Amino acid sequence: MEFEAVIGLEIHVELNARTKLFCDCPNNPGDEPNINTCPVCLWFPGAVPRLSREVLEKAALLCLALGGELQPKSAFDQKVYYYPDLPKGFQLSQAHLPLSRGGGIDITDEDGSTKRLRIHHIHMEEDVAKLVHEMEGRVPISLVDFNRAGAPLVEIVTEPDFRTPYQAMEFLKALRTQVRYAGSSECSMENGTMRVDANISIRPKGTGQMNTKVEVKNMNSVRHVGDAIAHEISRQSACVQAGETVVLHTRLWDPDKKVTLPMRAKFEGPCVPDPIVPAIELSQQDIKALRSRLPEMPAARAERFVSQHGLTGEEATFLSTDPDVAAYFETLLGQGIAPRTAMHWLTTQLIPAVRDRGQELGTTPVTPARFAMLLKMLSNDEINANAAREVLVHLFDSEESPDAIVHARGFKQVSDRGELDSLIDRVLGEQPSAVNDFRAGQSKAMGFLIGQIMQASGGKANPKIIRELLAKKLEKM
Amino acid sequence: MDSIFVYLNPETASEGSGPLHGLKIAIQPNISASGWATDAGSNALINFKALEDATLVSRLREAGAVIQGLTRMSEFGFGLAGSRAGDAVSRGAVDAEMVLDLMGESRLAAQRAAVCGFKPSYGLISRYGLIGLIPSMETCGVLSRSLKNIREMVKIIAGPDERDFSLPDEKPLDFSPQKMNPKKTTVGVITETKSGLQGDQEAAFHAAIDDLKESGFRIKEMSFPDFSLFSLVHKIVGSVEASSCTGRYDSVRYGHRVPGAKNWNEMYLSSREEAFGLLVKSYLFQGAFFQFQRYDAYEDACRIRARLLADMQKTMSKVDFLVIPAANEVPKEATASLAGTYEQFSPTVFASVTGQPALYLPSASGSAQFGFQLAGPRLGDARLFALGEHLLNMRQGGKS
Repeated sequence: MEFEAVIGLEIHVELNARTKLFCDCPNNPGDEPNINTCPVCLWFPGAVPRLSREVLEKAALLCLALGGELQPKSAFDQKVYYYPDLPKGFQLSQAHLPLSRGGGIDITDEDGSTKRLRIHHIHMEEDVAKLVHEMEGRVPISLVDFNRAGAPLVEIVTEPDFRTPYQAMEFLKALRTQVRYAGSSECSMENGTMRVDANISIRPKGTGQMNTKVEVKNMNSVRHVGDAIAHEISRQSACVQAGETVVLHTRLWDPDKKVTLPMRAKFEGPCVPDPIVPAIELSQQDIKALRSRLPEMPAARAERFVSQHGLTGEEATFLSTDPDVAAYFETLLGQGIAPRTAMHWLTTQLIPAVRDRGQELGTTPVTPARFAMLLKMLSNDEINANAAREVLVHLFDSEESPDAIVHARGFKQVSDRGELDSLIDRVLGEQPSAVNDFRAGQSKAMGFLIGQIMQASGGKANPKIIRELLAKKLEKM
Repeated sequence: MDSIFVYLNPETASEGSGPLHGLKIAIQPNISASGWATDAGSNALINFKALEDATLVSRLREAGAVIQGLTRMSEFGFGLAGSRAGDAVSRGAVDAEMVLDLMGESRLAAQRAAVCGFKPSYGLISRYGLIGLIPSMETCGVLSRSLKNIREMVKIIAGPDERDFSLPDEKPLDFSPQKMNPKKTTVGVITETKSGLQGDQEAAFHAAIDDLKESGFRIKEMSFPDFSLFSLVHKIVGSVEASSCTGRYDSVRYGHRVPGAKNWNEMYLSSREEAFGLLVKSYLFQGAFFQFQRYDAYEDACRIRARLLADMQKTMSKVDFLVIPAANEVPKEATASLAGTYEQFSPTVFASVTGQPALYLPSASGSAQFGFQLAGPRLGDARLFALGEHLLNMRQGGKS
C-alpha cells in the first residue's frame, strides 16, 4: 500500500524584544544564571504581571508578516501544570483567544508548482525557566535558572497541509525570512530562538482520513526537521504494514542516530482564563498603524529587484532573503553603484569576508558608504579588481577611507601608457618561449603573458590597457 | 506581641503634612509593607518579608498616614476564622484598618466591630503588593468609625498605577463630599434577600428601610430570582482561581520547605501538605477538582457569572442604590468549614462577584449586633459615600 503523510507544525519563536513578556527584566536568557529576574518573573506574592507593549507589537508584526488576521480581542489563559521550571504552577498562554488567526505561506514545491501552506493561528506565551541537573558530591541536584522564565514567545500553529519533509523545510525557511523582515526574531533553530515540533500521521494515499498523530520534538536545524519527518513517515509506514496501530505520543529526534525515540508522556493540564492580565483589544486603527510599520516583504522585494535593477530571479531571491543584505544592497545603489557591480561584489567578496570574521552585515565596520567608495574607485579605473580585494581587507582592519588606503599603500592603478609600454617590453624580453608559443597559435600564451606583466607591476597595472597594448605588440612581432 | 497585632511598627511618627497626616492605620499581613513579615496568615509564606510597599501602602504613607502594624488574619484572608480584623478599630488602637475583601470580609469585620466597612469597586485600587487568592473578585476594603476617614483614604489610594495595568482606564472618580437629594433617589430592596433572615438581622434590615423612607428616599421592592446563585458562582470560580493563585507556593523560591524529600514531586507534595490549613486546603482541593475533573462545570459557572452581571446591571439601571441585609451569624465552629463560611457570607458575596462597591453601616444604636449594607453600581463609589454620609448625618440630627 502506498502511504502519504499528513503533517502539521507547531513553531515556537522567541521574540527579540528588549524585555520579558510581563516585566522589565532584560530578555537575555544566556546571561549569568538568575541575573535577569524580578518579583514578577519569579512570581513573588503581590507581584502583578504587566504586558509589555514592545512584545505585543513585535508579536503583532510577526502575525501580519505571515498573513495572519489580528484579532480585535485576545486574552491570556493559565495552562496549568506543576513542574519546577514553572514558578507559579501555570504558564500564561493564549489558548482560547489567540492574537491572530489564519495566514500562510506560498512555497515552490519540488515539482515547481506553488503550494499554499496555511496557518491556523498564532498566539503569545511566556517561556519557562531552564533546569540544570548536576551532582553535588554523590547527590543529584536540580538547579533552576529563571533568566528564561517569562521570556516572550509566539507559537505558530499550522494547518495539517504538509505532505512531505521538503514542504516543511521550505515553509520554515520562508517563515524565517519573513519573521526576520518583520524584525521580530532571528528565528535561529541552532540558537534556540526557533523551535519546531512536527505532528505526523500517515494514511493510504488518496484518502481523506485523519489518523492518530505522533509529535516529534528536539530538532535543532531545518535539515533535522526534514530528516525527522522522513524517518517518522517510514517508521509509521512500517508499523502499519506490520499490522500495528500508531498510538498518540511524543518522540524525540536523535540527531546522531538519525532516529526518533519515544519520550515519557507529559501531563497536560487544563487552560483556565487568567483573571489578572487584561484582555488585549486592538482597534481597526491600531491594526492599520501596525500594518504600516511592516516593511516590504521578501517576495515583493525580489520581484522589484528583477524589474527595477535587471537582476535574475535567483540573484534577486538571494539578495532579498536576508533583510540586512537587501538593505545593504539598496544603500549601495543609492550611492550610485551599478546593480550588477553591487550584486557581484556583495555576494562574492563582502558577505564571505564578513562571515569569515564572525561579523554581521548590519554592524560590520565596512559600512555601505565605505564599500561604495571602494566600488566607485574600481568603476572609475582608479584601482583594479585585485587592488579592490586588497583594499577590502584593509577596510576591516583600519578606520581609514578607501581613498586614503589606496594612496597610502600605493594601490593606485597604473594607466600611464608609456610606463606600461616599457613594462611590457621588459616582460616580453624575459619570456621568449611564451612569445614563440603565441606565434605558433597557442592563444593561452596571451593570458600567461598578461599575468606576468600584472605581476611585474605589483598588481597595479590597468589590465584593460595591458591587454590592448600587448595585443598590438604581438601582432607586429 | 498582643493578640490583635502580629507586628507593631516601632516608628509611629507621621511625616509631612499630607491630607491624612497623623491618621493611624492598621493593615494585615497580606498587604505588603517593605521589610515586614508578610505571610498572609499562612505557613506557606512563613518568614517571608515583603520586598517593597504595596501601592496603597506607599500612597497612604505619602499622604501622612502612619501604618501602625499588622493585625492577625485568617489564612490568605479567606473568611474570618482566626482573624482579629476590626478589633484594632473597635478598641480605638487605630483610626482605620485595611482588610482584603474576598467575599465580604471587610464588611463582616466592620459588622463585628460595629464600625463602617467599605468594599470599593473592582479595579479602583491597585493590586500591586496585595497577596490575594481570588484575583477576579477581591479588592482592599477599609474599616473605620468615620465614613469621612474612609472616603479620604479611598480618595488617596484609588486610581491608576503604572505597576498594575489591570485597573480600568477610566476617568478618575471625584471623592469630594457630594449632596444627596433623597426625593430624587431610589433605593432598591431585593425580595430574595429577605428570606431566611434571623431575628436581630431582620429587625436591623427593616429598621434601615424605615430610616431610608423617613429620610425621604424612594424604596423600590424588586425581584432578583437568581440571587442565591452568587454564592455558588463565587464558590466555583473563586476556588479555581485560588487553586491557580497558590500554585506559586511550591517551596522552590521562598516559603516553607519540608526537608528530606527524595525528589521534586515529593518535596512539592510534602511542603504543600504542611503549608496550608484545612479550610484553605479544602478550597484549593475543590478548585483543582473543577480545573482537572469538571472543567465544564467551571465554564458553566463563568457563563452564569456573566448572566448575573447582566441581571445586576439591569437591576441597577432601575434604582440608584440597593439596601442589603448584613452578613449572617453562624456558630464559630462552622466558620472552619467551606459550607459554614459561605453560609456566613451569603448576603455579602454578590458584590465580590459583580465588582460593585458595597458599604456596611452599623446600626443607629451603635450597640446592636447587626447593621446593614448599601451597594451602588460599579465605579459609583463616590455616590455611595454620599448616601452613607447623608444617612449618618441624619442620625445625628443633621440636615441633608
